[in-house]
Amino acid sequence: MVSIPTISSDKSQRQDTWSCLLEQVGRVRDQQAFAQLFAHFAPLIKGFCLGNLNANFPADAAEEIVQEVMFKVWQKAPGYDSSKAAASTWIYTVMRNCRIDLMRRNQRQPHSSDGIEIDDIWDESDDEGAFVYLQQASNEALIEQSFTQLPPEQRQVLIQVYMQGKTHQQIASETGLPLGTVKSRVRIGLKKLQTLIVGADKSAEKNWGPRI
Amino acid sequence: MIKYHPDDNLLTEYASGGLAIALGVSVCAHLQLCVQCRQRVEQLNKLGAAILSQSQAEAVAQSTFETVIARIEKEQQVVSEQVHVSAPKKLALHPAYQHDPMLANLPKVIAKLLPSNGKLAWQRSSPALKTARLIAGQREYEVAFQRINSGGKVVEHDHNGMEITLVLHGSFSDEDGVYTAGDFLVRNPGEIHRPTATQNQDCLCLSVIEAPVKITGMLGKLINPFLSFKPA
Repeated sequence: MVSIPTISSDKSQRQDTWSCLLEQVGRVRDQQAFAQLFAHFAPLIKGFCLGNLNANFPADAAEEIVQEVMFKVWQKAPGYDSSKAAASTWIYTVMRNCRIDLMRRNQRQPHSSDGIEIDDIWDESDDEGAFVYLQQASNEALIEQSFTQLPPEQRQVLIQVYMQGKTHQQIASETGLPLGTVKSRVRIGLKKLQTLIVGADKSAEKNWGPRI
Repeated sequence: MIKYHPDDNLLTEYASGGLAIALGVSVCAHLQLCVQCRQRVEQLNKLGAAILSQSQAEAVAQSTFETVIARIEKEQQVVSEQVHVSAPKKLALHPAYQHDPMLANLPKVIAKLLPSNGKLAWQRSSPALKTARLIAGQREYEVAFQRINSGGKVVEHDHNGMEITLVLHGSFSDEDGVYTAGDFLVRNPGEIHRPTATQNQDCLCLSVIEAPVKITGMLGKLINPFLSFKPA
């Protein structure tokens, strides 16, 4: 059984540059801070999307998605809470939702009459918004570092899954790998990632103190 | 206590945004009920952020930045011209749903799918089972509520396509176990089962079924079940 973690009393704010800048954009609508975020994230978003060449997502759409995502970042920034997510994770989810929306429009899907939006479906918060965050369970830097240590085939399939935003089935048909292989590489990759994170975390635990 | 969860593959497809809309709805509804899977997805989102951070940076045209700034300034003008900044819309459930104990406390993504006129079009599929189609703005899957009367048995059935069932209220059982609110089940073609609702209350489930027949071409668009389904 998984015990529900208690909310830690020290609701520490994130100190990393990007999260601070994003908070500033949200709180005081600071265009200078926004320009700095743009300079850092826009090229990464473009690079991420160019790793995404497929029929539904033409290469020349990369600038368009950068524009769309960064505008959404500005619009949604007042809702950003650095105690809940790092800027990079938050911007990743904004980008993901933008892309789902764009691909959906390209496929001319019918609109639901009562207007359910992508942001309603890709929204993990519960009704009260009382999200219990286990934010320190593994921080972004640790995940990033552990990810580079994965065996290439597992890392590769995860990059494909994320960058191309495709189902395992689509990746299987495109790469010619059996679906079962794609699935198991993802699963094993994630398990291995977990092990690496826990391992790296153990050595860091002395500084952080034991977790619940 | 939720016992059945979406697997890591499905959660990864959700976090990476590859999942079809209808499957996204079912996973999202589960997440809104299950703190454990929310944490998992939070991790998977961080992995997305890591992959984004490690992407090959590509120079972005200066004009793109200028366009964004222009849009921002235009929007700020509009906002400052409005006297009241509208508060985030709180979803108001139609009274018809508020008074139905089964529908009053749905995960918010499901509540969004309820027809705004308060009229769910229930159709009797069998003596114990009623079904109401939901419109999720897509064509690949049939999204519906299934309501089993307390103690009711559903005829034994198979599926042509994959079926996801999310228990929203009450509970039901089949040969393999008992399923309660929040449980997320995936059945593949060939897995025959016969659900029975528990005696004390009706059971409400969200069901997402892969469209059994793929109709393509012009005619397909005309007779597509989702397009022909119009809430009264």
